[in-house]
Amino acid sequence: MSLPLKNVPTADHQNTSPQVAPASTLLDLGGVSKTFGNVQALSGLNARIGTGEFVTVVGPSGCGKSTLFNIVAGLEEPDDGAGIQFRGQSCKARDLLGNVSFMPQQDLLLPWRTVIDNAILAIEMEGMPKAEARALALKMLPEFGLAGFEKQYPNQLSGGMRQRVALMRTFLFKRDLMLLDEPFGALDALTRTMMQRWLLDVWQKHNRTILFITHDVDEAIFLGDRVLVVTARPGKIKLELPVNLPRPRGAELVTSPEFISLKRTLLEAIEEESMKSFQATTGH
Amino acid sequence: MKSRSWQSADVYWGVAGAVLLVVLWEGAVRAFDLPAYILPGILEILVSMVDLQSTLMDATWMTVMEAVSGYVIGSACGILLAVILTLIPTLKRWCLPAAIAINSVPVVAYAPLVLLWFGMGAESKIVMVSLAVGFTVFLSALTGLDQANRKSIDLLRSFGANPLMIIWRLKLPAALPLIASAMRVSTTRSMIVAIVTEMLGAYGGLGWVIYQATLQIDFVQVWAAIFAASLVSLIFFGAVSMIERKVIFWR
Ligand SMILES: Nc1ncnc2c1ncn2[C@@H]1O[C@H](COP(=O)(O)OP(=O)(O)OP(=O)(O)O)[C@@H](O)[C@H]1O
Ligand SMILES: [Mg+2]
Repeated sequence: MSLPLKNVPTADHQNTSPQVAPASTLLDLGGVSKTFGNVQALSGLNARIGTGEFVTVVGPSGCGKSTLFNIVAGLEEPDDGAGIQFRGQSCKARDLLGNVSFMPQQDLLLPWRTVIDNAILAIEMEGMPKAEARALALKMLPEFGLAGFEKQYPNQLSGGMRQRVALMRTFLFKRDLMLLDEPFGALDALTRTMMQRWLLDVWQKHNRTILFITHDVDEAIFLGDRVLVVTARPGKIKLELPVNLPRPRGAELVTSPEFISLKRTLLEAIEEESMKSFQATTGH
Repeated sequence: MKSRSWQSADVYWGVAGAVLLVVLWEGAVRAFDLPAYILPGILEILVSMVDLQSTLMDATWMTVMEAVSGYVIGSACGILLAVILTLIPTLKRWCLPAAIAINSVPVVAYAPLVLLWFGMGAESKIVMVSLAVGFTVFLSALTGLDQANRKSIDLLRSFGANPLMIIWRLKLPAALPLIASAMRVSTTRSMIVAIVTEMLGAYGGLGWVIYQATLQIDFVQVWAAIFAASLVSLIFFGAVSMIERKVIFWR
C-alpha cells in the first residue's frame, strides 16, 4: 500500500492550486484488527495519513469505520499485533487520548448545557477560564450558523443545528488530527453543501489534518485529497483513491468529467462491498 | 406550557381531595357522635391548635430544625459517599453489600442506640434523620452516577478528561434527576424519623408533644400536633419539589 504523493497542503496555506509536496506522515496504522467477542470488526487495516491531509473514508454500514475512529481517538485498544505511529513515534492507542479532536457519530450534547457551554466543553476541561472560552466561542457562532442561539438548550434545536454545535465543540478543541464521523449526516442538502465548502475553508486556514467518515460518495470526493474505501466486515482498506482535483473546489466541480470518472470508480468498489455486506447480513 | 397546566390541575385535584376528606371526617364525627379519644372533629382540632399556638410553634420549630439539619447533612454525605465510591470501584464492591445490609433494617431500629450514644437532645434526632436520608440519597446517587451514557464518557475521555472531571461535568449532572427524586421523598421521611425519635426520648419537639399528650389522654392535642407536622411536611415537600423543577429543567 503506497501513499500517493500529491496535492497535500503544507504548512504555509497560501495555496490556491494543488501543490505537489511530500507529506510527513502524521498517523501510520499497520495491521490494525479489532475483535468484539465473536464479531471481527477490523482485520489488518493499514493506512497512512499525511500531515495536513484531508482523507475521507467510505464503506458499507457496519464495516468498522466508527471502530477505527475509536481506536485512533484512543478509546479502544486494537487487538495485539497492531502498529500505531503518531508523529513518527510508536504508541499505544490510549496515548492518543487528548491528542486527537474527535466528533462521534451522535452529537452527544449535554442537555443541561446551553449551546455555548456545550461548544466550550473540551477547552473548559483543558483549563481555559469559562469567560474566556465563552468569548472565544461566541465569536465563532456565526461561522457555524448558530448566531443568536448561544443561550438555547439542545432540546430546543433541530438535528442539523445540534450537529453544528458538536462540530464547533470539535473545532474549538484544537488538535492536529481531527476525526469527524459523519458530521453532516443530519443536515439538509443545502446546508450540507454550504458546510462542506465552509469546512474546506476552515481546514485550509487552520492547518488541520482531517479524517472524515461519510456515506455520501460526492461528499467524499469533493472534500478529500484521498478517499479510503473500507471493505465489508471485517474492515480493511479495499481501495485508496487519490483525488487530484484542484483546490479551492467550487460547486461546478461535481459535474466535471474528472469528478464523474472518480465517482464511477468509487461507486463500483463500494457497491461490490455493500453487496457482500448485504449478503452476509441477510444470509443470501 | 403543558407541564404548567398539569401542575395547576394537580393542585386543584389536591384541594378537592382535601375538601372531600374534611367533609367526610366532620360528617362521620357528627353522624356517629364519635368521642374525642376515637376521633375529634376537625373544628375542635383547629381551635385547639390556636389555643396551643405557642407550645406547637416551639415544638414544630424544634422538629423542623432537626429534620432539616439531618436532611442537609444526610443528603450531602450520601452524595459525597456515592461520588467517592464511584471514583474507587474496588471500594464500591466492598462497601455496597454492607450499605444495603444496613439499609434493609428500618432506621428506627437504631434509635435506642443512637439515643444512648448522642443523648436525648437534638443531636440524636439529627443523626437519625441523617442516617435515614443519607442511605436513601446514597443508593439513588450511586445508581444515578452509573447511568451516564458510555459514549458521552468516551467523548470526555477523548478530550483528555480525568475521572474527576468526568464525574463533575457528566456523571453528577446525569445523576441529578435520580438524586433529586430521592431527596424529594426524603423530605417527609426526615420529618417522620425526627418525630418518631422524639417520641422515644426528647426534651421537646412534635414527637415529644404527641407522646406527652397521649400520656395525659389529650387526644385533641395529639391531633393538633399531627396536623402541625403534616402542614410542615407538606411545605417541606413542596419547597423541595419546586427547587427540583428549577434545577432539573432539561427533563
Ligand atoms: N463495543 C462493541 N461491542 C461489540 N460489538 C461492537 C462494538 N462496537 C462495534 N461493534 C461491532 O463492530 C462492527 C462495526 O461497527 P462500527 O460501528 O465500527 O461500524 P460502522 O462502519 O461505523 O457502521 P455505520 O456506517 O453504520 O456507522 C459492527 O458489527 C458492530 O456491531
Ligand atoms: Mg459508524
